[in-house]
Amino acid sequence: MAHIHLEDGAFTPFWIIVWSLIAAGLIGAILLVIRRHKVPPRLIAIAAMCASVGFAVFQVEIPTPIGPVHMNFTPLIGILVGPGLGGLVVLVINMFSAAIGHGGWGMIGANTLVNIMEVSLAYYSFRFFKMKLRRGNYWSGFSATAIALTASALFVVLIVAVSEIQGSQLTKEEMISNLLVLAALNTAAGVIEGVVTGYVVSFLGRVRPDLLERHVRRTAQESVPAVAMEAT
Amino acid sequence: MSRRAYSKHIPDFRYVTYLAEGGTSAIHRANPWTKLALLALVVGLVTVLMDPYLLLVLLCLTVVFYAVARLPLGLLLGWWTLPVFFVLSLSVIFIFTEPGDRLAGLDISGFRIAVTDNGLVLTVNLLMRALAVVTFSLAVFMTTRYNHIVHIAYRSMPRTLASIFLLSYRFMYETSDEFSNILDAMNSRSGSLARGVTRQSKIYAGIFGLAFVHAFERAETISKAMEARGFSGDLPISDRVPRPTAGGYMAVGLGLAALAFAVYSRYFDTGLSGW
Repeated sequence: MAHIHLEDGAFTPFWIIVWSLIAAGLIGAILLVIRRHKVPPRLIAIAAMCASVGFAVFQVEIPTPIGPVHMNFTPLIGILVGPGLGGLVVLVINMFSAAIGHGGWGMIGANTLVNIMEVSLAYYSFRFFKMKLRRGNYWSGFSATAIALTASALFVVLIVAVSEIQGSQLTKEEMISNLLVLAALNTAAGVIEGVVTGYVVSFLGRVRPDLLERHVRRTAQESVPAVAMEAT
Repeated sequence: MSRRAYSKHIPDFRYVTYLAEGGTSAIHRANPWTKLALLALVVGLVTVLMDPYLLLVLLCLTVVFYAVARLPLGLLLGWWTLPVFFVLSLSVIFIFTEPGDRLAGLDISGFRIAVTDNGLVLTVNLLMRALAVVTFSLAVFMTTRYNHIVHIAYRSMPRTLASIFLLSYRFMYETSDEFSNILDAMNSRSGSLARGVTRQSKIYAGIFGLAFVHAFERAETISKAMEARGFSGDLPISDRVPRPTAGGYMAVGLGLAALAFAVYSRYFDTGLSGW
């Protein structure tokens, strides 16, 4: 699992409110941009299907030598639908996940912030590797995923270090050094997810290249917002 | 109703919905808004309460709630694996590093690690918090009809987000079945046997890639159907949720009082025994 999903009760009420408000602000901004550009039903359907598949994919156990692993594919969702719709998709996935204990209800804000960072970083780094560095689908997908999941693992460390685990008597420095070990493990899991995502992206590039090219083509029209381009 | 879950520790949404639609317990008949409010209160209580005994009482109450709904307790134990895994993945290091009295230790080539009492209490508290919320959350979803969840989602979310949520909820079953079919086909050909990282990754990448391709194709078909029917941003809702009953208001009122008392004792009067 390439994510540290926080369960209910890990943070104090103050930090739950803080992270929830920041996430609500981001989601609100995404919804405003989408509403302003009159998002067509096609994009709503695509986002819904991605949430549905993202949640179903998570339920599949991949056997590995170190035990079964679950994938989240948030970076892949970012690569496919972009950071705007991707933000809404991860929020919906987090709501479904909270219902079954994969992250807490009170932690939806913090977890969504982490996931929004993943979809955004994956989307922009995939475009960078594909367009600027002229890498193939596999390496672009692998690198984008590895970067996004490494950054998100460090972001989780930052969130936990700032909020602190309630009931813990460790100092911030001690907590960070503890969490860095976890971040390293999650980064290793992120590399596994990167390998699988790389293969998925190269598979998509063979059977439905239009799904990847829709976003890559946007580099020629940098001035147009991502959601507006989606709406066209 | 047969279950087609991929793993023992993740709830099967189809089975969850089956129990919600077919159950006749008192919890099934309770108002969905009341159950949702109680879920929010449980989340609030696990966040505010610090005493392990009170957290244990709360966990027991959620299990009783689950049992009163006549839901399968054996399955619940399997479904607890996921939150336990998440809590342990975060707190496993804290067990050894939290300051406190050493309970047990181990020497590994001159390097000593020890479990401390505070580390153990912290981990147990986090576990009880997570399990209490998961148990109650599952009980709410396994006793609330699909149409009622749809109505609540539509009433409580912005329109675009509600549309995405409801559409993905509707197609969750179809997507899950599609995955089951592919995995069954793969397993019937001994595809689950480990054959090296590269081969394994490619097999699963093909499955996941196919799922995303199907998802996009299905989305295109659905959007055409939605446009043909003059979709204006509103998804039709066939069922309404009535207002909570007097008993429901009373249950929520009691929960609110408990939460208010817990907040007061934690932040304003720490001398209150047990709270």
